[in-house]
Amino acid sequence: MASLALKDVHKSYGDTLVLDRVSLEVAARELIAFLGPSGSGKSTLLRIIAGLETADGGEVWLEGRRIDALPPGDRGVAMVFQHYALYPHMTVRENMAFGLRNAGVPKPEIDARIAQAAHVLEIEAQLEKKPGQMSGGQRQRVAIGRAIVKQPKLFLLDEPLSNLDAALRTRTRVELAQLRQRVDAALIMVTHDQAEAMTLADRMVVLNERRIQQVGTPMDIYARPANAFVARFVGSPAMTLAPATVMPGNDRFARVRLAGGAEVMTRVPRNGLVDGAPVSLGLRPEHVSLAPAEAATLQAEVILVERLGDRTFVYACLADGLEMIAQDIGSSAVRVGDRVGLRIDGDAAHLFEADGTGRHADAAT
Amino acid sequence: MSATSPRAGLSGPVLALLLVGAAVMLTPMVWTLLLSVKSNAALLGDSGAALSPPYTLDNYRAILADRLTSRWLLNSLIVSLGTTAGVLVLSSLAGFAFARLEFPFRRSLFLFVLLGLAIPEQAVILPRHQLFATLGLHNSYPGLILPGLTGSFGVFFMTQYFRAIPRDLDEAALLDGASRLRLFWSVLLPLTIPAQATLGVFTFLASWNDYWWPLISATTSDYYTLTVGLASAQMNYAQTSGLGFLMAQAVFASVPILIVYIVFQKQIVRAMAGTAVR
Repeated sequence: MASLALKDVHKSYGDTLVLDRVSLEVAARELIAFLGPSGSGKSTLLRIIAGLETADGGEVWLEGRRIDALPPGDRGVAMVFQHYALYPHMTVRENMAFGLRNAGVPKPEIDARIAQAAHVLEIEAQLEKKPGQMSGGQRQRVAIGRAIVKQPKLFLLDEPLSNLDAALRTRTRVELAQLRQRVDAALIMVTHDQAEAMTLADRMVVLNERRIQQVGTPMDIYARPANAFVARFVGSPAMTLAPATVMPGNDRFARVRLAGGAEVMTRVPRNGLVDGAPVSLGLRPEHVSLAPAEAATLQAEVILVERLGDRTFVYACLADGLEMIAQDIGSSAVRVGDRVGLRIDGDAAHLFEADGTGRHADAAT
Repeated sequence: MSATSPRAGLSGPVLALLLVGAAVMLTPMVWTLLLSVKSNAALLGDSGAALSPPYTLDNYRAILADRLTSRWLLNSLIVSLGTTAGVLVLSSLAGFAFARLEFPFRRSLFLFVLLGLAIPEQAVILPRHQLFATLGLHNSYPGLILPGLTGSFGVFFMTQYFRAIPRDLDEAALLDGASRLRLFWSVLLPLTIPAQATLGVFTFLASWNDYWWPLISATTSDYYTLTVGLASAQMNYAQTSGLGFLMAQAVFASVPILIVYIVFQKQIVRAMAGTAVR
């Protein structure tokens, strides 16, 4: 049985539709990441599950119980807010006890639960401090602790790492991964940071334009993006989408011609593609490499070089103005202004039809 | 900026100007204090006698022995504390409602409250007098306290303060299963204590110093507040109660104010600096 089920959830603010019939099932103990740009509706969806917003229609079920008409405190969910939302006048202990006292949990049990959570989160020494006396990372732990002690059926985390500096972010990411092993509940995390989503989530839900664009494991979404939006949104640097047309032929796989005239043989099955139809050729940087002129598919001029140590991203501009990103070795000697040859790995290329629908290399062959 | 740098930056002329200003402010106070510790007889001929001994505390003893002055002090305390408590309770509840609750005509009602800031007391004092006379509220504590509770400023002030508190806290409390009342009482109200202190001090001072309404409403000396009582003593043309006694009464009346200022100076300075809301 699904832990959480959303059925046709929709929501408008006045005339502005913010969520358009969203349906989703989350398995028990699963960690789901809602990923999307600002305004995609991901935070609204989280708030509807929490009960902080009311959906205009649809149903929210948690462990077999319909919860969308219940007040937030009765839903069995706990939330970690982006800015923590700790009660500033209460000590850490009081912050953690507040919800339990409201629920009528006996004091000895409150004390026991707080002690256990504080031990797990290593904040035992901070219990009598107030949030104002603590660092950002410590406050984050308290916010997580406040959620844990309630022993909810579902954890909601709103941009949990966005307020932390880079070093702390990496550490907290590891801690969150460990945390989920210890709690017997599903977790939903909202983020606009794909690295966060890909490293932590069992499955990602990519949202855009009020709708779910794709649901899948991080690698599934990376390797087989459902549409052009997902293809460009997931992956850094973004996938290059080069305008192309499907060439006539009887091959099993589609051959396309780029606007500049170069041809690329893909491993995307041809079935259903119309000869001459406009498509976009999708190429991840790791599938475009620098090559000597005779082995190159295309010629281009280097406009930007990003050196990451272990590899180098080369941004190059084709004759027709299209920008393409190639990956080279860490010690690449290429420089801005160089003319380089680009070799396209057609076997790994994706095709996106005019409506954005993605087609991918046939995994079976 | 460090706390000491403004002082370090004072130039000679500025310091001199401040000293002159302080002298101008302090001289009448010192003069009042000196007069209050002289016997009435010594001041009868020449008030300049205040500058030389002997000094005495007879006037203060007389005040403490005078049943009426003690009564006026008690009246002032009851009225000022009653008004302050009432304003804090009403302003906090109304501020919470305007800042956090959804109800019909909320914006119009708030505008209506703001309009109250633009209406001077003089404009309503006659109908208020008639209303209180009809209701038989003159010469009573409710009659002295109730008008002070109608001020718009407290509601406006507390509404702004509640609005400045992040809504995340409300949402966290709702997820923690708190009712609206619990949210107000346990989460938001404790966070408004700095605002409560500022509003409380100003309400207390305004109420303590109020002269006009008590003068109209309290017509028997049993319900005089200290301001009205002292003024009635000054109308004693022949100064039979004496200049020294009068000044002792003035000092006596300002002691509670002085205590309030000393205890709450931080809030007063903060309110004056306009940084009351965080």
